[in-house]
Amino acid sequence: MSSIRRLWTRTLNLLLRTTGDRRLREEMEHHIALQTDENLRAGMSVSEARRQALLKFGPVEAFRESYHAEEGLPTIETILQDCRYAVRMLFRSPVLSIVAVLTLALGIGANTAIFSFIDAVMLRTLPVKDPERLVKFGVEDWGGITDSFACTELYSYPFYRQFQRDNQVFSGTAAILSMMNDVHGFINNRKESELIHVQTVSGTYFQTLGVGPQIGRVIDENDDSTEGDHPVLVISNNFWKHRLGGDPAVLDHKIKLGDTVFNIVGVMPAEFFGTKVGAAPDMWTPLSMMASIPPGWNGRKENFSESLYIIGRLKPGVTIEEATANANVLFPQILHSFPDAKLSQDNLDRLSHARVPLKSLARGVSDLRDAYSEPLKVLMVIVALVLLIACANIANLLLARSTSRARELAVRQALGAARIRIIRQLLTESLLLALAGGALGIAFALFANRVLLHMISSGSETIALDVSLNLRLLAFTFVVTVCTALLFGTLPALRATRLELTSTLKSGRGTSTFGARTPLSRVLVISQVALSLVLTVGACLFLRTLNNLSRVDTGFDKQNVLRLDIDSSATGYGEDDPRMRSLLHQIEERVSSLPGVEAASFSAFTFGEGSWNSAISVPGMPFNRKVNVKHNEIGNDYFKVMRIPLIAGRQFGPQDTTKSQPVAIISESMARNLFPAGSPIGRTYSIGSPDGMEVPVEKQVIGVARDVKFNNVAEDLEYIDYLPYTQRGWGFGDFEVRYAGNFAAVAAEVQQAIHSIDRTLPISNVTTLEEQVARSYSNQTIIAQLSAFFGIVAVFLSAIGLYGIMSYLVSRRTGEIGIRMALGADRSEVRWQVMREVVLWIAIGIVIGLPITLGGGRLVRTMLYGLTGSDPWSLVAAAVALLIAGLAAGYLPARRASRVEPTVALRYE
Amino acid sequence: MKQKPDVQQGTLALMVLKTLEVLGPLHGYGVARRIEQISGDLLSVNHGTLYPVLLRLEQEGAIESEWGASENNRRARYYHLTREGRRQLQSELQDWHQTTEIIARFLSAKAEDLA
Repeated sequence: MSSIRRLWTRTLNLLLRTTGDRRLREEMEHHIALQTDENLRAGMSVSEARRQALLKFGPVEAFRESYHAEEGLPTIETILQDCRYAVRMLFRSPVLSIVAVLTLALGIGANTAIFSFIDAVMLRTLPVKDPERLVKFGVEDWGGITDSFACTELYSYPFYRQFQRDNQVFSGTAAILSMMNDVHGFINNRKESELIHVQTVSGTYFQTLGVGPQIGRVIDENDDSTEGDHPVLVISNNFWKHRLGGDPAVLDHKIKLGDTVFNIVGVMPAEFFGTKVGAAPDMWTPLSMMASIPPGWNGRKENFSESLYIIGRLKPGVTIEEATANANVLFPQILHSFPDAKLSQDNLDRLSHARVPLKSLARGVSDLRDAYSEPLKVLMVIVALVLLIACANIANLLLARSTSRARELAVRQALGAARIRIIRQLLTESLLLALAGGALGIAFALFANRVLLHMISSGSETIALDVSLNLRLLAFTFVVTVCTALLFGTLPALRATRLELTSTLKSGRGTSTFGARTPLSRVLVISQVALSLVLTVGACLFLRTLNNLSRVDTGFDKQNVLRLDIDSSATGYGEDDPRMRSLLHQIEERVSSLPGVEAASFSAFTFGEGSWNSAISVPGMPFNRKVNVKHNEIGNDYFKVMRIPLIAGRQFGPQDTTKSQPVAIISESMARNLFPAGSPIGRTYSIGSPDGMEVPVEKQVIGVARDVKFNNVAEDLEYIDYLPYTQRGWGFGDFEVRYAGNFAAVAAEVQQAIHSIDRTLPISNVTTLEEQVARSYSNQTIIAQLSAFFGIVAVFLSAIGLYGIMSYLVSRRTGEIGIRMALGADRSEVRWQVMREVVLWIAIGIVIGLPITLGGGRLVRTMLYGLTGSDPWSLVAAAVALLIAGLAAGYLPARRASRVEPTVALRYE
Repeated sequence: MKQKPDVQQGTLALMVLKTLEVLGPLHGYGVARRIEQISGDLLSVNHGTLYPVLLRLEQEGAIESEWGASENNRRARYYHLTREGRRQLQSELQDWHQTTEIIARFLSAKAEDLA
């Protein structure tokens, strides 16, 4: 108790800078006066009485010192003293300090920014109760719907219910629709529709996750009991705040999705974003309403309409292995129990090989994680290297400065300052620099995070990823900052305090220390060059990859094509409704006739939008389940819009209707590999396996089109067939327009034309096909841009480092150069001598950096396209860039050296 | 002074507390005189040692001080014991007695007693 009280008083004294010096002085004087009186009384002479009193009191100064030590907190006082002194020193060389702080801010900020993404995408657990106890069936995180037998990634609703009843390992199970419904819905009675992301979940979803609402209630098992009559919604905090204005009476609002009006029954807390990282739904509805929400996925009652994720919470004491075992016992049992299971030999074989994998759901479902884990790791290494280079640079700057402070430090040491005390002083300066850099770095990171989020978000909507500051992030930054300070501060501090006092005191620029001091700087500069090589080669590799990707022949002409999405479900027409067909046809006609428009067509897919795929059965060819054909439904002018050449046969035309023979156009490689030899024109095939759930419809091949890329530019050949939408229904999204002239003008006209036919049709994602193709490799674009940026930063920092050390060397050698010139050395010879040294150091740096670079290149080879990690062009380009930067950096000092006037230099010596 | 500060400070603090308990409010010189009188040699060298100890006790809340007039009308700082100080004194006295008792027993022990 009393010791805490004492600490408190002392801290207060320290903060308020109160000292009891006057009081002590007065007390001491009083004490001595009383003693003197006493001595006088004892018969001493006046001066003797005073002298004896002082002697008895003891050493006054020593008491004052220990009195002060008791009074405040001496350790902290010296630290503060160090800080004050450090601040003064930093202000004395402002340019150096600013350069150092900015460099550090960039380095630390970049690290913080990348780490915040790693944290959000790869490290953070879901904000639910005991996330470690949650598991998910399947590992791929597919999104879609399938009817394939014994699928272990997606499950049907009846399967989920049966499993829920039968399992012994989970305290709760829930199902989540693997696709988000992006609906143009209406809030209350608003006239304009708004894009709303709806996640459909089972009634047990919130209960299994262990999360509650902030207002109202969550969806419960009752909401999921009977199909179609529970129009309830739980909305996200974000939706409540931004779309409903945070109205406290939120439960009175209504949301219309498709034809159904939904009641809001609850609002989730702000931190809850569901179970998928990077995709925050606006609202959640029960699976019972699945068919009522556009595009109207039905199949809740179908045993083999598989579109759900199943998640479960492990019972206490049950391990994930035990749960996996139980799931794999139940999986075949449940499938066998379905009366409509087609137990063909093929299906039974598949079932016997099927294993249901369970994985932890602690960090949620995330395709972002799959897509960005590798790039983020690479970027983390890149920014760490940049920070290392920055450290080396600042260490060099500090070294150079400590030379100019050598006398000051020598004087202090000569006066008796302990070496450790001076090292502490210098480290305090480094730490202050680093902290200033770190603070600025956080500001930089916050800005960079916004830019990065924007970069990874394709399209108009920003990815819902929380990369704001949090404690873990601040701790990371702090640790990085302190490590940085130690890294760049320790060596110069040790170096600066290891002096031969006498020689330093004798002359400010003694030649004796020169030889001894430069090796460290040289090592630093050379390692900077080596690390820069790694970064520049990396940048070259990624830039060349990007270049290769952008030059891949996609098979279609991506120039001058506008594309947009419409939400045809807003019309309320069913997919097979003739009114839908005529509406689509009308839009195609109207837009095609616009000036500047060559052709326009709807399609199910254009590029990089996922796929509808299945196996096909071709008469006369063995059935192969593993061969997947991607199906595209298109308008009659699709090939004209995309400029995909037809190799044989004809295009779709007005003659192809619901009443005529179903027809298809197939891709070149499909014709070559999946059809019997000879022309495929006129042959028939059907989609799906012979034992599939859907009754196969025979289609006749009427044409063969050139192969095109479908999902990404780096993919191998895909088999694609095209079906006319005039024969088979589809709820459309994609609309493509080939145009000439100004994009913005055409885009405005096209939208106007569409709205002149149907005013309410929601239009979104208006962009060019070229842009859409580029988005499919946005990963590589980001990496290329960022690595190029950091590569330039690295080279720049290294050049500054080189410049600094060369200038220093030249100024040190003025005398030597003067003598040489006096003895007849040429100016250009002197210049060359300096430049030769620069080239030598860069060469050493490159030689050292080369093996590291090659090793690094091997690590990133999976992220490269069209070249290997040891791409010679990249190596040469990087080396040349470094050399040029180095020569530019060395030129100024070299010129200065060549301009030394021998007489002046020698006089100075 | 620096060689054995612990013993001196600890003992000195106890003496200061005891002195203030017995004699009531006193200024620094008074405390010093009193301790000197009773303990003979201990404080004969350095009276000044007392002041850091007084400050420490005051920070701990064991004593309080205020300005007052001393004999022959000089301004002097008077120290007095607080309730907390009394408690501290009691517990320290107890400790002290215990320690001396143990030490005394140890020192008076003979070989036969240990056998």
